[in-house]
Amino acid sequence: MTGAAPLPLIEAVDLTRAFGGLVAVNKVSLAVHTGEIVGLIGPNGAGKTTMFNMLAGSLAPSAGTIAFEGRDVTRAPAHERARLGIARTFQITSVFPMLTTRDNIRTATYRTRGAGWLASTFRTAAWRRDEAAIDAVADEVLAFCDLAAQADIRADALSYGEQRRLEVAIALAAAPRLLLLDEPAAGLNPEEGQRLVGIIRKVRDRGVTVLLVEHHMRVVMGVCDRIVVLDHGARIAEGTPQEVAGNADVVRVYLGREQAHA
Amino acid sequence: MDWTLLGQQLANGVVNGMNYVLISTGLTLVFGVLRVINFAHGEFYMLGAFLTYFAMSALGIGYLPAVLLATVAVGALGILVNRLFFWPLRKEHEFTVLLSSLGLALLVTHGAELGFGHDPKYLNSPFTDDILEVGTIVLTQQRVLIFAAAVLVLAATYAAIRWTTFGRMMRATAQNPEGAALTGVDIRFVHTITFVLACGLAGLAGALVGPVAMIFPTVGSWAVLKGFIVVILGGLGSVPGALVGGLTLGVVEALAGGYVSLGFMEAIGYAIIILVLLWRPQGLFGSVAR
Amino acid sequence: MIRKALPFAAALVLALLPLGTQSTYLHHVMVLWMLYALLALSLNVIIGYLGELSFGHAAFFGLGAYASAILTMQTGVPVWLALIAAGLVAGLFGFVIGYVSLRIVGPQFAILTLGFGSIIYTVTNYWDDLTRGPMGINNIPPVTVPGVGPLGEARDYYFVVVACVLAFAYACHALMRSRTGRAFLAVRENAPLAASLGIDVFRTKLLGFVAATVVAGIAGGLYAHYLRVITPELMSLQYMAALIIMVVVGGRGTVVGPILGALIYVVLLEVLRAFGPLRLIVFAALLTGSVIFVPHGLVSLWRPWRRRADPAIRPEPAP
Repeated sequence: MTGAAPLPLIEAVDLTRAFGGLVAVNKVSLAVHTGEIVGLIGPNGAGKTTMFNMLAGSLAPSAGTIAFEGRDVTRAPAHERARLGIARTFQITSVFPMLTTRDNIRTATYRTRGAGWLASTFRTAAWRRDEAAIDAVADEVLAFCDLAAQADIRADALSYGEQRRLEVAIALAAAPRLLLLDEPAAGLNPEEGQRLVGIIRKVRDRGVTVLLVEHHMRVVMGVCDRIVVLDHGARIAEGTPQEVAGNADVVRVYLGREQAHA
Repeated sequence: MDWTLLGQQLANGVVNGMNYVLISTGLTLVFGVLRVINFAHGEFYMLGAFLTYFAMSALGIGYLPAVLLATVAVGALGILVNRLFFWPLRKEHEFTVLLSSLGLALLVTHGAELGFGHDPKYLNSPFTDDILEVGTIVLTQQRVLIFAAAVLVLAATYAAIRWTTFGRMMRATAQNPEGAALTGVDIRFVHTITFVLACGLAGLAGALVGPVAMIFPTVGSWAVLKGFIVVILGGLGSVPGALVGGLTLGVVEALAGGYVSLGFMEAIGYAIIILVLLWRPQGLFGSVAR
Repeated sequence: MIRKALPFAAALVLALLPLGTQSTYLHHVMVLWMLYALLALSLNVIIGYLGELSFGHAAFFGLGAYASAILTMQTGVPVWLALIAAGLVAGLFGFVIGYVSLRIVGPQFAILTLGFGSIIYTVTNYWDDLTRGPMGINNIPPVTVPGVGPLGEARDYYFVVVACVLAFAYACHALMRSRTGRAFLAVRENAPLAASLGIDVFRTKLLGFVAATVVAGIAGGLYAHYLRVITPELMSLQYMAALIIMVVVGGRGTVVGPILGALIYVVLLEVLRAFGPLRLIVFAALLTGSVIFVPHGLVSLWRPWRRRADPAIRPEPAP
């Protein structure tokens, strides 16, 4: 690392993960700087989900290190990373199904706000203040993610597209420094996908850095500042969307195949 | 150290252990294939013992034919129970299934209390009075019969799971129900037969162990508790786990009963399990990823 | 306005209930109802809020009952101190058992708690020197209020227990409006998502489990000093099942549900007394039927009706 470069928000060095004899991710290094939107792409089986899960803390790396704001978090469990300011979404839609949309978001403020049980039992001033602040956060995030109309509906009764937006809303309510999005556009129709792209762009304006794993090329090309391409567990390219789209290796392993499908 | 006593305790422990294996193999199979914890499993053990008793007293047939009849009847009952209680609930939350099986267990227990009476019954077997001596170890023939029958039936069960087409269907369903269904496995058939097998094994255990213990309607909760302990120890859903877990529990209890205190025998058995679980929360043969 | 006043009105009615009758028998039934309600509310923390099934809860009830009885009889400590000690003893066991078993969740956890409950039951039965074995302990001293004397009458005792129930019911209600309570629900609804929000799933579950066992212990103490006779049967499988029936039939995850469930249990127990063993069959059928047909308990019957009037509620999505 050069001395002049600012400290990356999150930096993975030589991250490796093997399942039995199979190496899913092989010595991949990756750095995301504050304010960026970085995409992690690759064909099926490239190791991007494994990479993502190691960054989020739901999978322990076999080797390599992960640092968040210069602090080593390689072995930190998911909830500790979350407390440092890393939020994530899940590949398979993951919300609190029996709670309303608003309560989903209120629950997500756990990291930053909320008086404990004793304060709520005695209805202290601090508790009332906190509840009001949580309501304000919920209102703001609901509006931000176009979910205000669905605020009082149980999450399991939302449409698929609404649930995916709720996931982003939950992550944002945690007031993260870094947001990890796991295939946020998976299963969305083009219109919903565009809506999501709009939200992700706005997320950056909130001062949240974004790293996303994605399959949909339109989403990735449309929203990312920088793209890292994985294939067979190794990093094969990195650059702006234009650079990556023009990279012969990338076209060969990924884009070519994708376009052949489409 | 008294080696004769030790040998005797071990032999008793292994025989009791085989009984536990018979009970828990069915429990673990049902969990493995249906993902269901069947609280009512012990009731089939109880019914096995009582059906043997009534077959002998009402039909006047000998002990061994009665055992056979009871085993088959309890196995057949499995079809009905699966059809009425478990198949309709297969898509429900695991709590719902667990609780409805608890309801079924209470229903059967209290039904049996009403029908069979509270007082314990004695199951007569021609083998309880004769003994068999192996060196210095003395066992009643009934205990030898329990052991031999268990070994035979379990070996047949393992072989069936390992090598028959049905066994392959069962394993496929256990690993991936959707995938199995897509490749043409009749899930409903697999569930039914698994239940028949599980109930039959439990019924056989009750019929075999009946003569060496008193039988009473609430014995089912004892049996299911033992079964639970064994499957937790061995790993839920693991057939080898049920074998090792059952034998371990039997031997540990026998040694604890012989050397420490008969009263605390069961508590010591549990204590061992807690130690094992502290070391391996998923059980001896359980898999982590679930 | 009415919705705000309703809980207060209900609490008031509950608190003054024994004044409505002169019958000591009914007073006795009311005390039993409140004792079970306290116990069911505590189990509801585990089943309803944390979403784990515990089959060992009756054991903590029994531990509290025995701890309080033995303490007051052998050391002569005042009953109120023994009640606190009962909660602490049960909580200590709850901590150890929870610490061991909460690392695994779901059916395995349910079975493990069953195993632990059985150990405690077995030990209580056989540790004659301490517990007097299956005979149980009798002549347990009653609760004495300074200046009033011993609470011998069921009606007087009712006020003590109802105060505990109302306090704990309110505490549960307040819990659901706090950060801790939201963490409980998050852990129940979706543990990986909860962890991704900074919630330590294991510690949250342990906290709820221990709190529930403390309350169960206190309930046990209250029970022991009321009936003044306890036997190990308090911890039998029958009781464990009965507790779960109360919570599930009433409605898990609500404050009203367990209290309602306890009422149904106590009333049915009394009404069906004439039927002998048949009443247990009725219970079993009740459990099975309600689990299958009303999986979210009796309180859920009243909710959909209220929600149907709300146009914002959409129909359930297709699975």
